[in-house]
Amino acid sequence: MRLAVACLALLGALVGVGPAAAADPAGLVCSDGPTFNLTARAGGMETPDGNTNLMWSYSTTAGHFQTPGPVLCVDAGDTVTVHLRNELPEATSIVFPGQTGVSATGGTSGLFTKEAAPGGDITYTFTANTPGTYVYESGTDPAKQVEMGLASALVVRPPGHADWAYADSSTAFNGEFLVLLNEIDPELHSAVENGQPYDISTLHNRYYTINGRSFPDTLQDNGVPWLENQPYGSLVHIKPYDATLNKRPALVRVLNVGLANHPFHPHGESLQFIAQDGRQIKARTTGNDAVTEHFGETVPSGSTQDFLLSFRDQDSFAPGNPVPVTFPSYRDMTFKDNNTWYSGSPYLGTVGKLPSPTVSQNVCGAFFFPWHSHALNEFANYDVAFGGMATLLRVDPLTGCGTPGLQTYTGSPASVTRTSPTPVATVSNGQQGLAALGGTRTDVTSNTSGTTRRVEWYATFTGVPAAGVNLKVAYSGYNRLTGFLSGLPWGGCTQTVRIWNWTTSAWVNLNTQTVQRTQVDIADLLPAGPDTKYIGTGGNGGEVRVGVACTRTFSSSFLSATFVSSGDLMQITYDAP
Amino acid sequence: MNNTRREFLKSAGIGAAVIAAGTGTGSLFLGSASAASVSLGLVGTDGYITLPGRPEPQDVYIFGFKRLPQNRLNSPVGDIVRDYKTTAEHVAPILDFREGDDITIALTNAGLSIRPDLVDSHTIHWHGFRTPLAVFDGVPEVSIAVPELREFDYFYRPHDPGTYMYHCHFEDVEHVQMGMTGIVFVRPRNHPTWAYNDSSTAFDREFPILLNEIWTTVHDNDENIQESIHTDYDPDYFTLNGRVYPQTVLPTGHGSLPNQPVSSLIQCRPGEKVLLRLANLGYQQHAMQLPGIDLKVVGEDATLLKSPGGDDLSYVTTTLYLGPGEARDVIFTAPAYSAAREGGSDGHGAYNRWWFRNRSANKLVNGNVPNELGGMVTEVRVYQNSIPDQTSAGVTV
Repeated sequence: MRLAVACLALLGALVGVGPAAAADPAGLVCSDGPTFNLTARAGGMETPDGNTNLMWSYSTTAGHFQTPGPVLCVDAGDTVTVHLRNELPEATSIVFPGQTGVSATGGTSGLFTKEAAPGGDITYTFTANTPGTYVYESGTDPAKQVEMGLASALVVRPPGHADWAYADSSTAFNGEFLVLLNEIDPELHSAVENGQPYDISTLHNRYYTINGRSFPDTLQDNGVPWLENQPYGSLVHIKPYDATLNKRPALVRVLNVGLANHPFHPHGESLQFIAQDGRQIKARTTGNDAVTEHFGETVPSGSTQDFLLSFRDQDSFAPGNPVPVTFPSYRDMTFKDNNTWYSGSPYLGTVGKLPSPTVSQNVCGAFFFPWHSHALNEFANYDVAFGGMATLLRVDPLTGCGTPGLQTYTGSPASVTRTSPTPVATVSNGQQGLAALGGTRTDVTSNTSGTTRRVEWYATFTGVPAAGVNLKVAYSGYNRLTGFLSGLPWGGCTQTVRIWNWTTSAWVNLNTQTVQRTQVDIADLLPAGPDTKYIGTGGNGGEVRVGVACTRTFSSSFLSATFVSSGDLMQITYDAP
Repeated sequence: MNNTRREFLKSAGIGAAVIAAGTGTGSLFLGSASAASVSLGLVGTDGYITLPGRPEPQDVYIFGFKRLPQNRLNSPVGDIVRDYKTTAEHVAPILDFREGDDITIALTNAGLSIRPDLVDSHTIHWHGFRTPLAVFDGVPEVSIAVPELREFDYFYRPHDPGTYMYHCHFEDVEHVQMGMTGIVFVRPRNHPTWAYNDSSTAFDREFPILLNEIWTTVHDNDENIQESIHTDYDPDYFTLNGRVYPQTVLPTGHGSLPNQPVSSLIQCRPGEKVLLRLANLGYQQHAMQLPGIDLKVVGEDATLLKSPGGDDLSYVTTTLYLGPGEARDVIFTAPAYSAAREGGSDGHGAYNRWWFRNRSANKLVNGNVPNELGGMVTEVRVYQNSIPDQTSAGVTV
């Protein structure tokens, strides 16, 4: 069985057909509609204890076998067309619970819906119902075909709002994750594989899966080549809530396509329960959102539940605000199997030293929390605990953690331009003054008359790849009066550090504060994503512009003075291949 | 390793002031009107409980927690191990905290007398806590576990009132089944007799009740150095606070149940508001009923049932369906006493009896004992005469 799978993989590589997964390492992977060409076929799924189970599943007709089937994404109101080709040894079909007015053309009649005969085809058409998360699954001999894996997810989005779960701005999200629960009795699958009698009354589940994988395979990226038939990971990868930088919660779409109910328990942070079975949860009398938070929620068989997730630390614990307990020497503690997701430091974004030979899977001080079925017999792979229906929540520091396969680069300005007042000539030391802390400074002089004095200038960084992400800005400088007054305290000007948005052709403010004669170091300024809008294209390809503006209004012309914006360091960092 | 904190508590004089003396059973009213520092100690070890229908002496081997008396918090680890090894209780001690307090729980791993070969670590996982630091989540794979003969301080500052649970997360499929499970709850800072910061959740008496199952196969296998296959899960006992009926109605700390000190007897007077703090750390869902009395669910998973827009989302039910890892805060109003109604008499005089029970009748048995009510059921006794006030949740009056 394993040999056969390996040969299939080689064939797939030769003809250039890969799993349906996209490049995103984590998060929900959509197959976009509204027209889908699916094929029902058989293939293997592997479990972490080395077993392989025969599965039946839907795949894109042009794609590789995959379990679960592709996540079908459409907009509400779309006319959805699903062509199903049947390569299984018996008739099969699709039903769409939660959708109404589904019509079928072709095929043969069956008990619950029209079916495609072995080797045959059928086409289902419907108008996508209200936004939400839905199941699609076999309507033919479900006791056998659903257990064998013929079930997956249909996502209906509100038109025009791909980043809202429902037609309701309170459901806006940043990051979308799929948690599709299922369970497997290997004896039943073996019976199908070997042509033995199939008896659902002997059901005895041994494997429990999320998105078709059992823990710890669930943590692997989408589309990793060594899980070629199981393209969907389920790592929930987010950053903490921040009122400006990460205001939106993540969306977690939970579906149970198994035969048993599963009580799902998220560690770390409770989930906001916003919808069940494609319907927002509303207060009966007022129609208000009736969102409640849960640290455990039973997902009924066949049901879907949508949750929003924001990770918050209202105590702001950090190295400078530590918890009032003393940590013992790590040598006196257990790190299970000398392998841990702990960073060695209790605080987000910091890393500590662990005793050898402990290996940490944590590169930047992220937090990891297990999410798992709390029917703990399902938190196992057959007889091996810490497996099965489980995944991890990973919370990165707000300033980012880098991305696998990417390196962090630091950029220094290529040029400096004064835009107000003109002309450019009054910039002294240019980009060189901004290259490093200390040493020469880049001095830009304000206008010299009137009660309101202002200076505006920007540095241009070049050569930033279009794929650059996790852009961060740092600026150190002060503002001083000119000439013989330059050493005096003077109250300063209102300084804004900003970044140019090439999409809107406007400056985006990152930091505003009053800065006078004392140097202020401003680091880790994070422009709101996506970063692509800050990286120039076409004639400005690879350009990033970071600006400084400073304004001071004096009380009278007699007391007005010219000042100089004096930059010491300007830097960007970004991650790129 | 904790001298700094303990010295601080001693020198500030608050160690004794804010911590009620431990009774060793049931819960304690901890905390005060303003935010305080609270310290307590738990020991992780093994022991035995008693279940009817088991072969004599009706013992079941367990892993569990034992609470240290407050005056032993400063004891050297070696002395704690000597004095508390193999004293595990099930359920674990009820932990009763106040919103906003700084809470330190020192966990000492005293090891296993019966299985000295099994050098298992232990942890505390506060199930449902909105955890600001993963290191205190108690999951050994993502943080720290406490090996035998070592001690670790867990720190919590709870901001959200409600009912939670706690358990060991080290090889938790086994350690949870073996008995390292208990209830922890958080009272509103300024309203200790409200379930939440909302007057609609005011109560007169409260009863934390942990629902659980025991699959004696795992316990016997662990005692006899055998492995278990957890996907064969097939429990034979169904417990409330670690006891089965009729144990459930025995008073707190009953002499016949030295390691199952927590009673589930619900004692009240007519008209009183009674809060049930319910949590399920079994692996199965349970359908709980109190026939004849409406159950009003005011909180779920330590969240008040009120919408962001202020809608009252509480609901009344006759059957409460509780999945593994879920918690519910339920309030009922005790009905009037009627001499014509079924009941009995105990040290507080005559009472009417109501049954709080699992609807699934297969969970109302004790192992193989035939034709006798057992398992996941307890009594609500509504007394004719006045009864004393509760001193702490989980302790019978």
